[in-house]
Amino acid sequence: MKPTKPSLWVVFSLFILAVGAGWILLSRTGPDTTTDGKIPAPRTGFLAPQFTLYNQQGQPVRLSDLRGRPVLINFWASWCTPCQAEMPAMQKVYQDYQDQGLEILAVNTTYQDDPQAVASFVQEHSLSFPILLDTDATAAGQYQVRALPTSFFVDADGIIRDVVVGGPMAEALLRIRVEQLIGRQAPLQETP
Amino acid sequence: MLPILEIGPLVVPVPAILLLLGLWLGLSLAERHAMRFGISNQYLYNLVFVALISGLVGARLAYVLRYPQAFLSSPFSIISPNPGLLDPWGFGLGALIGGLSYGQRKHLPFWQTLDALTPLLAVLAVTLGLSHLASGAAFGLPTELPWGIELWGASRHPSQIYETLAAIAILVAVWPGRGLIRSAQPGVYFLSFVALSAGAHLFLEAFRGDSSVMAGGFRQAQILAWVILALALWTLARKRAEPPAQTQ
Repeated sequence: MKPTKPSLWVVFSLFILAVGAGWILLSRTGPDTTTDGKIPAPRTGFLAPQFTLYNQQGQPVRLSDLRGRPVLINFWASWCTPCQAEMPAMQKVYQDYQDQGLEILAVNTTYQDDPQAVASFVQEHSLSFPILLDTDATAAGQYQVRALPTSFFVDADGIIRDVVVGGPMAEALLRIRVEQLIGRQAPLQETP
Repeated sequence: MLPILEIGPLVVPVPAILLLLGLWLGLSLAERHAMRFGISNQYLYNLVFVALISGLVGARLAYVLRYPQAFLSSPFSIISPNPGLLDPWGFGLGALIGGLSYGQRKHLPFWQTLDALTPLLAVLAVTLGLSHLASGAAFGLPTELPWGIELWGASRHPSQIYETLAAIAILVAVWPGRGLIRSAQPGVYFLSFVALSAGAHLFLEAFRGDSSVMAGGFRQAQILAWVILALALWTLARKRAEPPAQTQ
């Protein structure tokens, strides 16, 4: 074995590692690189796109009004089997975490659903969280919903922390994601 | 970006399909060339299968151990098919334990087995880049360069394309029998792949817009890639100093 070969290799390796270290130093970045000042986009790490939709009672619900609280936005339809399967778990989690500030916005894709079927589905499952009606696909378009159900877990700062496409979501998954959201928010203030 | 493909009533998650395709193509390539490294293709197939199964078990177990309360509230969630309830570190650890115990039981030589697995890893790296492209994950920094792509509200570096091209170049370099890396020394083939991949990752991470950033603005993935590169180069240096292995 020639002693020169390993030493040449060592020199080459050290050179590569020095260039690598230099590149790491040169390509340092700021903490807000991901969202670049919180750009709205339906993606983990980005600001949740704002929307205003009407609930079944005809009252407007604005996502921006919920800033400061963790929010689960769930896109669903009454004919979608996985949506039907995950609703009882969502209702259970909503009951358990509502007093800790959790809000669930169940956005029905009304443009591809029957409002009467929606009403009877909600009644049948005794859902107590707000059901919003997306009649013209505004919210579904903003959130680039391509499959049902699709869920967005939004923290108190309005940033999407997780996206779950498809379902049904297991109850444990819902609990874990909600607890992660609650863990991120400041303690709730008592309103006078 | 094509995260979902709708074929009639069927909704197909494209990124997952691409990864499965990569597993199948990579395993076929690795099996075809396994004997080059003195490993039976049947053992190689079984090893990958055992590692995958034990990885999945480890991934779910790790999640249950991290959040026992959530699973106590709903015990049936333990068998839920939700990929969101899988821990990636648990997967790695489970796959490692499963793979190592199978390899030990079958007396598979360590470095030769890793060499035989290298084509699979190289193909998987290509399909991982393509799956990132399909899902819009691993996205790039905003840029004004003419080849920037519109993604997530900005014109961005096509980091997924950079990643895929680098993985293709590495696959060509390590293509069994015809690539640039040829050595009779067990482990050199695998370690060269690791060094090339770590180097590519270290370089390309600088164009990513979703890096985890440490104190001082350092990107976590670059530091990890540098450490892996250093370890691979150091082990390669030791391998080069060893006397040439006998052909099996």
